[in-house]
Order: sequence, then structure tokens, then C-alpha cells
Amino acid sequence: MPGRYGVPTDPDYQERLAEFEARIRRGEKIEPGDWMPEEYRRQLIRMISQHAHSEVVGMLPEGAWITRAPSLKRKLILIAKVQDEAGHGQYLYHAAETLGVRREEMLEALLSGRAKYSSIFNYPTLTWADIGTIGWLVDGAAIKNQTMLAQCSYGPYSRAMVRICAEETFHHKQGKEMVLLYAHGTPKQRAMAQDAINRWWWPALMMLGPHDKDSPNTEVLVRWGIKTKTNDQVRQEFINEHAPEILAAGLSIPDPELRYDEKSGNWLHGPINWEEFWQVVGGNGPMNKERLEARRRAHAEGAWVREALQAYAARQQRAVAV
Amino acid sequence: MDTQWPRWEVFKQDAPGKPHQAVGSVHAADPEHALLTARNVFARRPQAVSLWVVRAEEVFSWTKEEIAQDPALQGGATPARGLRPTSYLVFRKTSHKRSMTFVDHVGEVQACSPQEALREALARFRDAEGLAWWVVAAEKVHRSDPSQETVESWFAPAKEKTYKQQQYYTTVSASRPKRRGEDEAFGEGCAHC
Repeated sequence: MPGRYGVPTDPDYQERLAEFEARIRRGEKIEPGDWMPEEYRRQLIRMISQHAHSEVVGMLPEGAWITRAPSLKRKLILIAKVQDEAGHGQYLYHAAETLGVRREEMLEALLSGRAKYSSIFNYPTLTWADIGTIGWLVDGAAIKNQTMLAQCSYGPYSRAMVRICAEETFHHKQGKEMVLLYAHGTPKQRAMAQDAINRWWWPALMMLGPHDKDSPNTEVLVRWGIKTKTNDQVRQEFINEHAPEILAAGLSIPDPELRYDEKSGNWLHGPINWEEFWQVVGGNGPMNKERLEARRRAHAEGAWVREALQAYAARQQRAVAV
Repeated sequence: MDTQWPRWEVFKQDAPGKPHQAVGSVHAADPEHALLTARNVFARRPQAVSLWVVRAEEVFSWTKEEIAQDPALQGGATPARGLRPTSYLVFRKTSHKRSMTFVDHVGEVQACSPQEALREALARFRDAEGLAWWVVAAEKVHRSDPSQETVESWFAPAKEKTYKQQQYYTTVSASRPKRRGEDEAFGEGCAHC
């Protein structure tokens, strides 16, 4: 249906746009099939598909530790968490599909290396303490972002976020519990927890995206209610919650300039190494190649399963037809 | 580009007596595969008693705006001659105010085509304004087995895995150390016991 998605050359574009923006101001959700500007659709597909890819790639650093979990309980928890991430990827691919893009295309973009996913998953998980730290800090940062996105003006994305947040809260809590146990454990356990915090703190701050002044998409995203807060606001919320908790646990934070500001009530951080962030986003992080290779290998090795299911379905259909 | 299988819309019922709601979609080779995948994607937490799946292209949908622009869709159904009516399931969304509002199952109508089913539905379900309407031929709907045994085996395990609930971790506090032995973490190391 040409013109349905609203390009500025449509004769009634301005009128439609005014109506659309009024709906968003009234707090209404935009649903599949509703009129929307093409740019709104494009931005959503970009964000949702990147988010979906992040959930899928995010299974890799943690999945690597399932066989090495230190107890049956921790193994069950980790399996459930990784299964959740797989499910979150699927919710999100579905949400993007309601905008007219197909899952085949999105997966192809991921496997070919064209698509982006969260920078954080290009760092290695070196010890078991990393698994706790990912839950506490990485999922903690993700939840701040996703709680904001649960308010998103696009219905399917917002619903996916509500479900995901409910499940991520378990991820966050189990991670926090693990790190605190180590923080209050033997000297070796404390050292492991500290080492993990040292390596994950800065990447966790970076994963919330560039500073507002360097984030060209922010303005339109906020205007159309796709985002309701900026990267810097979400990052500040994350630091305000986690910094005092890490310090209270007797662990330190690898930022000599970090301090509490009485006046604003915020924990202020030192300069972020954005050079590192752009290197990782650009494909030169410590694990970029390995992650992509692991995804490609899994996809190729799963081909026979897809073929077998296809063949089984075809046979069932023939049986019905006869 | 390899196949990702056809897409199926998934309808989930949270409790007996509540409507089935359109919660999202899955890709699957056949109805059985679609139901299993739907369970894994949409019912990992204890909140489901029944699932329906329908091939995406078997779902006919209209927004309020589309209906308003098409006079043929308004004003009661006029049954086509010579065709035998069949059952259509009707789904409706009545609110855009909040996120967690869905296209809900509202009932069933007899009609000879999806368009006629919609006209019939518009005439019949007038208790609330529909912002979006979906109709599906009843024979195209694949349902999870409603027997008690299947409901238990499909949906009960999610209830027993309490460690997937955030309440399981309520005692976590940064500053109050747990004593040795309160958790297996201090004794952990053997994954086989």
C-alpha cells in the first residue's frame, strides 16, 4: 500500500503527521497497521533489530559457562537465564516483523556482519565472577534502558519490553546475589569479584550509548516517544543505583574521579574512553570476530535441523492431502 | 538466504475464563512445532493455560481507520448466496492507552468470507469500540490440548522453577554479609553432587 507509511512527499503528510504526534502526546500507543511516518518505522526497525541481535549474541558469553557452573543450582539458574535471552531475541524479532521487515533479512544482516549489536558482548568472560557481574551490571544497565523503552510509543516494542523487564529483574538479582556472596567470601572470591567489576564497569557505562551531544538520533527518538529518556539520563540512573551498592559491598569502582554530588544528588563519573567504544562498535573489540563466527557456526550446524523439520512438515501435509 | 519457516500468530490464555490474546508470533514448520515454540517463547513463566496458533496469512485484520474508509465493510452482513457459512473467530483491540492491551478473542460468528465475518462482528460486538479487528476461520486455529494432563505437563513446570522469579532473591542486600553456610556458594566447586 504505497504512502501508507508516510513519506514527506505524500500530499496529506503534514496533516497526518500532526495527528500522529498528537496521539503520541496523548500517550496513545501506535499499533501495527496505524499510519506512521516512514522515519518512525525506519528508526524502530533499526533499534528493535539491533536489540534482538544483542539478546541473541548475548547468549554466547554466558553460555560458555553453563558447563562450568560451580553447582547444580547455579547451572539451573544460568540455563534459565540464557533461555530467557533466546526468548527475548524472538519477542523482539517479532516486534520488528510487525513493521514489515522479515526475520530472514534481520538474521542475514547479523550473520553477514552488517548489523550492529550491543558493544558489551564483545568482551570476554574470563572467570565465574564475570557471570555474576554481567547479571548485576550489564543486565542492570540493560534494565534501566528497557524500563524506559517499556514506555515506548510503539505498542509491540513496548509490550516486548514489559515482558523482558519482568524476566531481566531475575537476571539482575541473581547476578547481584552472586557478586555479593563473593564480595563477602574468601579473599580469593573477593579478588575475583573485584577483578570482574574492574573489567565490566566501564563497558557497562559505554553500552548505554554515546553522550547526548554525540547521539544524532536522540532528538527524533524522544520527539516521537520511542525513547523517553536520553542516553546520559539513563546512564546517570544506572550509576546512582549501582555505585553506592558496589561500594557498600566493600568493592571499589575503577574510576578515581567518581564522587557523590550533594547538590544534584548524582554520582558523577570521570571521562569515558569513547575511543574504545567506537573501536568495539566498529568491529575491533576483543571478541567481535569470535562472536560472529560462533553465530555463523551455530547457524550452519543447525541447518540439518531446519531441513529435517521442513521435510517432516511436508510429509505431514502430504499425508493430510491423501 | 535459508528458510525461517512460515510465521504463526500466537494467542495465549492466562487463566480459565479469560480471553485468548494475541501476544506475538513465532516461525515454525507445522502446527505442532508452532505450538511448542510458542510455549517456549511466551510461557516460560507461570501465566498460561492454553495456546492457539494460526498461520499469519490466515489472519484477516482491519484497523478502525481502514473500516471507516471502506463503505463495503460497514452495515450488517448480507450472506452471499449459494455458499455455506462456516465459523470465524473474532478478535478485537479496544484500547491504545496502555502497553499491555491486546487483540482479544471476543467470540465466534458464522460467515461465508472474512469480510462478511467482519461485518457480522461489527454488528454483533458493539459493547466497546474496536480499534483493530481480526477474523480467522475456526478450522485454521490450532489449539493446545485442553486435557488436564497436557495443561499440567505444558504449563506447570514454569511454576516449579521458582529460581526464575525475582522474589526468590528478595534477601539480597549489599551491606549485610551472609554468614558462611547460608548459601552453597561457599561450598560450591563440585557440579556433580
